[in-house]
Amino acid sequence: MSEALDEFTLMDRPEKNDPLGVLFWICLGWLGLNIFGAVFANLLPLPDPNFGNYSAINASPGLHHLLGTDDLGRDIFSRIVFGSRVSLAVGAGAMIIGFGIGAPLGMLAAYRRGRFDAILTALMYVLLAFPAIIATIAVLSFWTPRALLKIIIVIGLASVPVVYRVIRTATMNIATKDYVIAARIQGATDRRILFKELLPNVAPIGVSFLLIGVATVVILEGALAFLGLSVNPPTPSWGNMINESRTVMAQNPWLVIFPSLAMCLLLLCLNFIGDRLRSHFDVTEVKL
Amino acid sequence: MSEELLIVKDLTTTFATASGPLTAVGDVSFNLHENETLGIVGESGSGKTVLSRTIMGLQPRTNVAVSGSVQLNGFEVVGASEDSKRSIWGTEVAMVFQDPMTSLNPVMRIGKQIDETLRVRLGMDKAAAKARALELLELVGIPSPEQRYRAYPGHLSGGMRQRVVIAIALACSPKLLMADEPTTGLDVTIQAQILNLLDRLKTQMNMSVVLVTHDLGVVATRTSRIIVMYAGRVVETGSTREVFKHHRMPYTRALLESSPKIANQSHTRLQTIPGRPPNLLNLTQGCAFAPRCAYATQRCHQERPELEPSSETGHSFACWNPLPATTSEGASFS
Amino acid sequence: MLLAIVFVVSVGSFYLIHLLPGDPAVVILGTGDNPHNRAVLYKELGLNKPIWDQYFIWMKNIVRGNFGTSFISQTSVASTIRAALPIDVELIVLSQILAFAAAIPAAMRSARHPDGPLDRLLGATSFTLLSIPPFIIIVLLVLFIAIKLQIPHTGPSSYVSLASDWVGNLESLALPAFTLAIASFVVYYRVLRSDLIATLQEEFITLARSKGLSSRRIMWRHAFRPSSVALLGTAAVNIGGLLAGGFVVQYLLAIPGLGYTLIAAIAQSDYLLVQGIVLVVSVGVIAINFLFDFFINLIDPRISRE
Repeated sequence: MSEALDEFTLMDRPEKNDPLGVLFWICLGWLGLNIFGAVFANLLPLPDPNFGNYSAINASPGLHHLLGTDDLGRDIFSRIVFGSRVSLAVGAGAMIIGFGIGAPLGMLAAYRRGRFDAILTALMYVLLAFPAIIATIAVLSFWTPRALLKIIIVIGLASVPVVYRVIRTATMNIATKDYVIAARIQGATDRRILFKELLPNVAPIGVSFLLIGVATVVILEGALAFLGLSVNPPTPSWGNMINESRTVMAQNPWLVIFPSLAMCLLLLCLNFIGDRLRSHFDVTEVKL
Repeated sequence: MSEELLIVKDLTTTFATASGPLTAVGDVSFNLHENETLGIVGESGSGKTVLSRTIMGLQPRTNVAVSGSVQLNGFEVVGASEDSKRSIWGTEVAMVFQDPMTSLNPVMRIGKQIDETLRVRLGMDKAAAKARALELLELVGIPSPEQRYRAYPGHLSGGMRQRVVIAIALACSPKLLMADEPTTGLDVTIQAQILNLLDRLKTQMNMSVVLVTHDLGVVATRTSRIIVMYAGRVVETGSTREVFKHHRMPYTRALLESSPKIANQSHTRLQTIPGRPPNLLNLTQGCAFAPRCAYATQRCHQERPELEPSSETGHSFACWNPLPATTSEGASFS
Repeated sequence: MLLAIVFVVSVGSFYLIHLLPGDPAVVILGTGDNPHNRAVLYKELGLNKPIWDQYFIWMKNIVRGNFGTSFISQTSVASTIRAALPIDVELIVLSQILAFAAAIPAAMRSARHPDGPLDRLLGATSFTLLSIPPFIIIVLLVLFIAIKLQIPHTGPSSYVSLASDWVGNLESLALPAFTLAIASFVVYYRVLRSDLIATLQEEFITLARSKGLSSRRIMWRHAFRPSSVALLGTAAVNIGGLLAGGFVVQYLLAIPGLGYTLIAAIAQSDYLLVQGIVLVVSVGVIAINFLFDFFINLIDPRISRE
């Protein structure tokens, strides 16, 4: 039946992209808040996240400690804000590496094809088959001592094959479109085509995937924390906090709830933004 | 006077789109007798495909509103539930679709696709269904049916695929066959074959056929009556001969003239209809063809003409300023 | 192709030991480090030979099933793995059965009535669940159980093996399987729903409809098969991804599968064991991927033709 309706879509129809919506901007705001908190944590009027106030152990949320304290008297709110640094640093850092390497390679390979593409893609697929999570766990457990930078590097490199594949596929879909071929025939240089035709069209997919990638990496950091492979305590990280809280859960439920909430909210926002961007820019998606 | 197989009255189909309601089919009425072939002609966007689907009740289930009446052998299609419509689909009425590559299930063997109809609708067992399927394949002119039975649609040529679609449609011997542009996607040489096949089968199986197409050459010799559609409405209808020889509506004339004719000299300029097809979301209140019509009057732009039977000729048309009744040259397609 | 991948994996696993700072022998021996043991180890693994020779010696052992003996636990790595592996397999199988059994009918229902009440509800729920990592689900569940039901969260494993008592076995695996199933369900539901909706728009579905076939038949016989390709692809990736989540879940609920064992091994610096588990799990995931690729080809012959 869609064919029948196609007859009518030839005519002028107002171009209507899927609206981004209020929720989108709220999520973007929350994300911005998180980033702001992470970057400027040192300048904010927060109690020292590592300072244990022994007179206020396991305090409930209140005036002095916005979200309460943990079993060592440390302020939870402050720890969460500082912890966001780890999550966001890992998320952003890993994605920068992954995209920084994987995206240009993917685009180039998709555009150039030929031997360059064949070899590189074969290599990437081999790497892809190796489960990234295992590799990350393995390398991090062997490559001691722990360091935030190491975590970022390992996760970042592990994500390169995935990014490569996604970007390459997306670019191929566009590079084979007629208007790109037309540009080539008209004599546009490769550089021009890459920047003017391919990049703007791959960007939306790339950005949306990037956000979802950040979300995935944040989850990964959390999981690594449980395995003891994340940053060493007492450095606060959401994963560490949740992990450490297990022993005192019954006495101090806030210790579990707040970091979990912080993580889930951030993930929710990232996923939502990524999803909305994708459906906003993808005009080929089936709409009902 | 043979029985009326199909009675269509004031049929209107409206789609609820993101940009507002779109009336794809507006107030269409006609009758179809047994063993008759009716042609529905129009350009892309004329609503002919939507019409054929709506007649069968095959329009999408959501965001579509249908009003009017379609009586098929006494069964009222408009407003019927999907369940009750299912009881007539395949057994009373069937459809041949335009593109056999997309209308056949690409991952199911063609034999199975025919079997399915026979087993589910006629309750045949496996062996009987296979035997009948092979018969049908032969009937539609597919050589070596035994081999083809196990083939996937992708293995067959375009013409053969369409024959399979026809076989599926005929499996339960429906009384009415809707053929929606059955040859448009095929090679010209195959087109004639398929159309001849349809002619033959129609007589053999005692069916009526509704042939939907944009190609006037197709309807000229194979239909007894035609309907000309524009912007979802019927603008001219009558016996094929009448309409070809004594058409009154300028759109019909333009349509006839824009078809290339073999008889013409080489390098004869192709006639086109100026302007663009109308935007169905934004129809003017007058005749939909007025903006492109060479004979349009003030009234044409303001008031929409109704379909009126003509006194001089034997057919009906909708036009305020029709062409003169006596046209010496009819279009001929030989 | 498969060989190339396995080769890379084996090299990677092998090299892990050498990532550690210092002498690998010291690391492996851990507390059992003394000149005598060191000498033995050097001879066994050929640690003073060039790295390629070491690799070959290691590979030879692996192929013969000899993963080495952990100096920390004094048991052979191979036997440890062999004991823990079936638990993982069972956990994965159970969770996937649950996930598919829920996702397939739900996706079908949603695809038939898009934007209906069920579709909207499932859509919102699945999206939210997507953002909650499995370990948080477990932690919160445990919290809930500990507080509300006053059951203290203790250490000893509640796992009951299949051989001894299958009812107890299912009971003990119910919670982790369920948690993993949730994560899988969310992904499968979304992918299948989206694919089904796209497939239902195709012309051959209209033709099937025009044959007078029932909705159920159309859904299962015509729409499902082409749509399941992406689902299987997702399943292959998801099962691989289940590992990280699975590990943590096992650890939290003291289920002695490979994940639990791995975490314990890392904590105890039992590097031989870690190495062995990494190798086994990697090869397993690769094998699963190839298996799924095989099934995908079976379902959609077009892919093999392309």
